[in-house]
Amino acid sequence: MPALSSTMTEGKIVDWLKQPGDKVVRGESVLVVESDKADMDVESFQDGYLAAVLMPAGSTAPVGETIGLIVETEAEIASVQSKAPPAPPQESKVPPAPPQESKVPVEPPLESKKTAESLQSLETSFAANPLPTSAKPISGGRIVASPRARKLASQMGVDLATVAGSGPHGRIQAEDVKLATGQPVSVPWVAESDSPASLGNLPLVTTKFNVEASKAPESLVGKSFGSPGETIGFNTLQQAVNRNMEASLNVPCFRVGYTITTDNLDELYKHVKPNGVTMTALLAKAVGLTLARHPQVNAACSLKGMDYPSQVNVAVAVAMEDGGLITPVLQNADRTDLYELSRLWRDLVKRSRSKQLQPDEYSSGTFTLSNLGMFGVDRFDAILPPGTGAILAVAASRKVVVADKNGAISVKRQMQVNLTADHRVVYGADGAAFLKDFADLIENRTDSLAS
Amino acid sequence: MSVDIAKLVTTSPLENSLSAFLVEPREAVPFAKALRWQREWQHNMLDDSSVLQAVWLLQHPKCYTLGKGSSESNLLFDPLNPPAPLYRIGRGGEVTHHLPGQLVAYPVLDLRNYQADLHWYLRELEEVLLDVLLELGLIGERIAGLTGIWIQRRKVGAIGVGCRRWITQHGLALNIDCDLDGFNSVIPCGLHGHQVGALNHWIPGLKVSEVQPLIRMALSKHFRLSWEFQDPIENPE
Repeated sequence: MPALSSTMTEGKIVDWLKQPGDKVVRGESVLVVESDKADMDVESFQDGYLAAVLMPAGSTAPVGETIGLIVETEAEIASVQSKAPPAPPQESKVPPAPPQESKVPVEPPLESKKTAESLQSLETSFAANPLPTSAKPISGGRIVASPRARKLASQMGVDLATVAGSGPHGRIQAEDVKLATGQPVSVPWVAESDSPASLGNLPLVTTKFNVEASKAPESLVGKSFGSPGETIGFNTLQQAVNRNMEASLNVPCFRVGYTITTDNLDELYKHVKPNGVTMTALLAKAVGLTLARHPQVNAACSLKGMDYPSQVNVAVAVAMEDGGLITPVLQNADRTDLYELSRLWRDLVKRSRSKQLQPDEYSSGTFTLSNLGMFGVDRFDAILPPGTGAILAVAASRKVVVADKNGAISVKRQMQVNLTADHRVVYGADGAAFLKDFADLIENRTDSLAS
Repeated sequence: MSVDIAKLVTTSPLENSLSAFLVEPREAVPFAKALRWQREWQHNMLDDSSVLQAVWLLQHPKCYTLGKGSSESNLLFDPLNPPAPLYRIGRGGEVTHHLPGQLVAYPVLDLRNYQADLHWYLRELEEVLLDVLLELGLIGERIAGLTGIWIQRRKVGAIGVGCRRWITQHGLALNIDCDLDGFNSVIPCGLHGHQVGALNHWIPGLKVSEVQPLIRMALSKHFRLSWEFQDPIENPE
């Protein structure tokens, strides 16, 4: 069963366009697979004969399952059929599909493996699945790479076909190109929105860094803007961040932390992730809803007194690859639904990368969220951006052994959050009440996030 | 926080755009004809990688269509004697009803230009519909596990795609000012207990001609398409 999508776990065989014994020409459609509301004609990568159908039309198979067998010569059909388990009877309720001629030139096979026996299972010989489940960057001859990776590759003279992609769906990222040339790899971005590693996948993240470190022991793992001995001027964005950070020294801040069990949140995330919901959106929604119940934490100190904004606008810190950081804002995070928030967030991140944000899209935050969970950080505290009353630092969720009220011990996922607040507006009790309510939402009321 | 981005560079959104033919027939197009256009175009693209992508925006006369894998049990009429023409076609999904007042978009795109990922494509088509609704001041919703777009639990946008070597056919349908009675003869998309809606329920008097430019723009934005306004098939017959 070919993977038609990185999020596909199983597929339904809609129709076998060939019957056992039929001759199959390279590039010819052999069957139709359906996943969700999409059908795909699946083609053979080689000339031969369909010897056996192991899963009949109408059945569902997990990705990677062998669903049929193709042999090279007519003579082999009988031997395969005698060995293969008999196919369940073909259900006749699926009518024959309209004829699909294929006069098209055939893509070269991904692998030209010639085994002793010419029997090949369909999962390896079918063309529909270029990238998703494998780490191979090559998809039907086409290379999927980020624009930056392409640029780097052409500058450095790297053949992208030789680079393994680490991005979504095996996409080649700039880092992969650098790795391929033995160049220092800068730390991936902070607060990347769809990072599933922000919660739950902690071991994966650590392993990844270990692997990179052992691969290129001499190259830098952390980011550096300059070379040893150099002094590099701040760029515009870095200067702006510097001004803000220095201004925060005039704010009397305090910190208060909380440990939150995330099993329910992780469960919800798993459920809504296929619909494009990001962890950033989930956290922003949770913060937004809690802020709406705690207006004091949404307030800020001004010359006139305490300002209570008319909206709950959650800013999320995003590190910029070329230095500095920016805080795109999810406006009305309490009143915008999760799917819309995710969509908005994706758009904001995309446009902040290309530096196309409008001022009110990064400066209208009333509260800031900073997530370093994707690095496996177990706790940190954040600096309060001027003009706001509080910022929440979110660390990774990790499995821990927990004793409940009755002393019973179990394993749960927990994350630490740490609120930094301006004491002129937010007092310790306000911050604590906010965190208690935030924790209660994440632990016990996750259904209100998705509604 | 305030950030001085006066010196930051902006890039044109059309910089990496892909040319595509846009076909917008004035009259309703019989389903079989529109299907043939898409198939021919898909074949052209398979044959010759230099052939541009194409998008059709049109309406159909009343008809019902069934996906290849779909069940006739979702038809509440005799398939041999349907109230309007019934077609069985190679797209995912269950039964669908097309009729005037419903705008359909058939993008024939090579997904390898984007992501060779059918679920990604389905989600992107949903985004197109969500964007169009947002332009109209309506908040569309997804329902977890289902493909399509709902407003207040009524399905207004249906999606079903077919794909051959990552080149797509079929697409999306948005109910704008259509008569919803015809949906009572089927269980749309095989979903029991789901209501169907049309946008004129929320925006009385809304016409297809007002929504069509919005779909055009949303498609262009999501798939980086710059339009070539000419009919790619000189003799449709």
